[in-house]
Amino acid sequence: MEKLLLRNIGVPDSHMLATYKSRGGYHAWQKVVESMKPEQLIDEVKASGLRGRGGAGFPTGMKWSFVPKDNPKPKYMVCNADESEPGTFKDRLLIEQDPHAIVEGTLIAAYAIQSHTAFIYIRGEMVFGTQQLERAAEEAYQAGFIGKNIYGSGYDLDLIVHRGAGAYICGEETALLSSLEGGRGWPKVKPPFPATHGLFGCPTVVNNVETLAALPWIIEHGAAAYAAMGTEKSKGTKLFSVGGHIARPGVYELEMGYSFKKFLEDDCGGVPNGKKLKGVIPGGGSMPVLRPEEIEKVNLDYESVQAAGSLLGSGGVIVMDETTCMVRAAWNIARFYAHESCGQCSPCREGCHWMEKIFHRIEHGDGQKSDLDLILNISGNIMGNTICPFGDAAAMPAAAFIKKYRDEFDAHITEKRCTVRG
Amino acid sequence: MDPVSIIVDGKEVVTTKGQNIIQAAAEVGVVIPHYCYHPKLSIAGNCRMCLVEIEKMPKLQIACNTQVAEGMGILTQSPKVLAVRKAVLEFLLINHPVDCPICDQAGECFLQDYYMQHNRQESRFEFGKVHDRKKTVFGPNVVFDGERCIKCTRCVRFCQEVTQTHELAVVNRGDHSTIALFDDAVLDNPLAANVVDICPVGALTDRDFRFKVRVWYLNKTPSICPGCSTGCNISVEAYQNRIARFKPRLNEAVNSHWICDEGRYCFHGLTGGERLTAPLIRQEGGLVPTTWEHALQAVYSGLGSAQPLAAILSGRNTNEEAFLFAKMIKQFSAEAALDVFYQERALTTTQKLLMSPDRSPNFRGAREMGVASEGGFEALMRQLAAGSYSAAFVVGEDLIDANGEGEKIRGALQRLSFLVVQDTRMTETAKLAHVVLPAAHFGEKEGTYTNRAGRVQRLNAALIAPEGALQDSEIFLRLLDGAGAPQAYATPAEVFAAIAREVAAYQGLDYDSIGALGTELGSAGGGAS
Repeated sequence: MEKLLLRNIGVPDSHMLATYKSRGGYHAWQKVVESMKPEQLIDEVKASGLRGRGGAGFPTGMKWSFVPKDNPKPKYMVCNADESEPGTFKDRLLIEQDPHAIVEGTLIAAYAIQSHTAFIYIRGEMVFGTQQLERAAEEAYQAGFIGKNIYGSGYDLDLIVHRGAGAYICGEETALLSSLEGGRGWPKVKPPFPATHGLFGCPTVVNNVETLAALPWIIEHGAAAYAAMGTEKSKGTKLFSVGGHIARPGVYELEMGYSFKKFLEDDCGGVPNGKKLKGVIPGGGSMPVLRPEEIEKVNLDYESVQAAGSLLGSGGVIVMDETTCMVRAAWNIARFYAHESCGQCSPCREGCHWMEKIFHRIEHGDGQKSDLDLILNISGNIMGNTICPFGDAAAMPAAAFIKKYRDEFDAHITEKRCTVRG
Repeated sequence: MDPVSIIVDGKEVVTTKGQNIIQAAAEVGVVIPHYCYHPKLSIAGNCRMCLVEIEKMPKLQIACNTQVAEGMGILTQSPKVLAVRKAVLEFLLINHPVDCPICDQAGECFLQDYYMQHNRQESRFEFGKVHDRKKTVFGPNVVFDGERCIKCTRCVRFCQEVTQTHELAVVNRGDHSTIALFDDAVLDNPLAANVVDICPVGALTDRDFRFKVRVWYLNKTPSICPGCSTGCNISVEAYQNRIARFKPRLNEAVNSHWICDEGRYCFHGLTGGERLTAPLIRQEGGLVPTTWEHALQAVYSGLGSAQPLAAILSGRNTNEEAFLFAKMIKQFSAEAALDVFYQERALTTTQKLLMSPDRSPNFRGAREMGVASEGGFEALMRQLAAGSYSAAFVVGEDLIDANGEGEKIRGALQRLSFLVVQDTRMTETAKLAHVVLPAAHFGEKEGTYTNRAGRVQRLNAALIAPEGALQDSEIFLRLLDGAGAPQAYATPAEVFAAIAREVAAYQGLDYDSIGALGTELGSAGGGAS
């Protein structure tokens, strides 16, 4: 498979403009500004079948088309570089080593919605990544790719790199916008939606780093070429960041629809040290874990993973072998969500901490027989009842771990200790 | 007004476009429980208590942020809805201190009420609760308890959107989220205590009312605030014949849901202190108690012989009292200078949200009843200070305490040949009187006030006047009787009927149909608003 998203990774000085340009960079941007109308661009991206790579998988072209064209308010384009989903480090790779792809993608998306101010909101902890993006933006400004009257077309565009302040919730698009506005990183109640009422109440589109990084290639090679890859409903390629008990961890680019089992065993080298696979999370810490037998027929695309009872999400693959205590793993993830809950709405604010406390006591030998059903009940009470998907993100893994490894949890409670690690 | 037809719990409802489901359901008496929603604040959508089931939508939706649409089918009592209400309450209660035995909110607390209506189950939470600051003073009138707070953010939004003073914010994250003052801020804006009213739980409580009385013992009487001529609608809440607190009453035409802090607490200044319980007459050595007969006799002779006469009515007297006062004074002296107490002060922008620049709630009504002189109250006071009058009849105001010219006024009053003071307490002015008549205050009266904007509103008596004191109107009627012009009015309603006959602006108004929300002058037929 021809590398698309990872095409520049590994090339010396890949982050510098000269290198990026020498490999065809900003050619797509020029084509867009000089010869494409925004509606054309939107149609092209729709035809490519590109879906949001941040986790939700919403069709990108369709998202752009929700921005009202006759609205007098300024439009805003925002690149979501707040990668914080546990187990996910694929955006980070692009940010650090191919920042121009992200810049160029952001510019293309801005043009599609006729935005004249674009932002890249980057996770505050990514100090090095911020430097890379800021340098790339600076280089692009100097080259005239950003700024006034780009390519003499009369189109103006500014790009601002903005750092977050350390909250996972700011990866949720409306919380990101709240933070970008200078406020608390609280998600906004929907409706209205960002397409009509986003940043400062103006029409706004938020796209993930990986989604935007795919745009230059799509423009260069055409929507059909992109749509020729992948499956019927999941087009193109996706990055997967694989970590945990795996021989060759790292970021991989796969055509959508690739066999999950083949990926783990062949491409990633399988579980090392002769251990057996016990569970794998396909799409980041918020997605339900899958048992080894459950991934036999799973392909890495949105539909197939969903049919198996989990979600492709961010593509953060977390591999756990037989030495993993699932109680501890579940507690670890519950702790993450309790820590990161913004606290705005009642079920998540109270429920996440409650679940963490119950997992904690199970892990530490104090579990009660009723605890498991209690967690399942709390999880069910959170799901679907919150302002944003964070609640679901906390509830799903809690329930999945218990359902898939019930015997282990029961033993941990009865024996008052971990029966896996001893 | 675009009509929209929806179905609530199987009943067809015709409502208006733009209504949210909470509002539309309320139109047919269906109450959807909620905390963070408030009709006068932006939508927060954080409590999740108002989740309802909407046909064709897979997830439950919050009623506060869902606009009605033609044909929308809404279920407010389905098993899913009942279950989620229980769940939300459970979540809200796991870290709640359950301070009920020591919390002022008990009896009017939405956690208590909704728990009884929608949950009633034992707690399943077996861990230590999150602790937070308790009894933290936010301002002169408001105290905060972080543990009781359910983070609905009504208080934060009130300070951002209504007063725009921005004292409050949410700080910290997750279950340590709490409400705090911004650096160096104090919650002392002119409408600050309204956050106590809108706080659904006992997180924000009134310092003045703290621990005074359990709310279920309060006798609540709808009335009008006597603070200024805005005429905010209030509920006077009393216990053992004393006012415990004012609460605002909803009236979109006047004060909406609010009352200013000055008005809220003004009853202290107007009702405290030792009451006069017997008429007093000046003899050698000072004022001595006497009978009503004797006192009124002294008034006839005193006023009859001393001209010119100045008569000053309190801005807190009702239209009915003003009507009778004007008649009574003119009976004694056709050329008497009479006016209603009226003083203005400068107001800040925030104060102007509600307040009027005066402290005379019924100055307009009084003037329309004939208690008005050509030059106005200020000119009358200047004349009084200059010694232009021989006698004065002062009702319900302490002229010496009223402004910075106290000593000048005192001197002028001392030089009067005859001074009658009708009041509730022994004021500095009353100390100089020849006759003192004990009267009732606003909380003990029934009648009407006409606010600055020309709205006639009903006062109702919340308290009983002390033994020995009489209603102002009763005193005026007795004086009229003794002066040879008896009036046959037994009740304020009958006086109002006379007003409607004799005062042009009040033509066609009907006392009974003024109603709880008042009536605008000029609305022919005088129907309730």
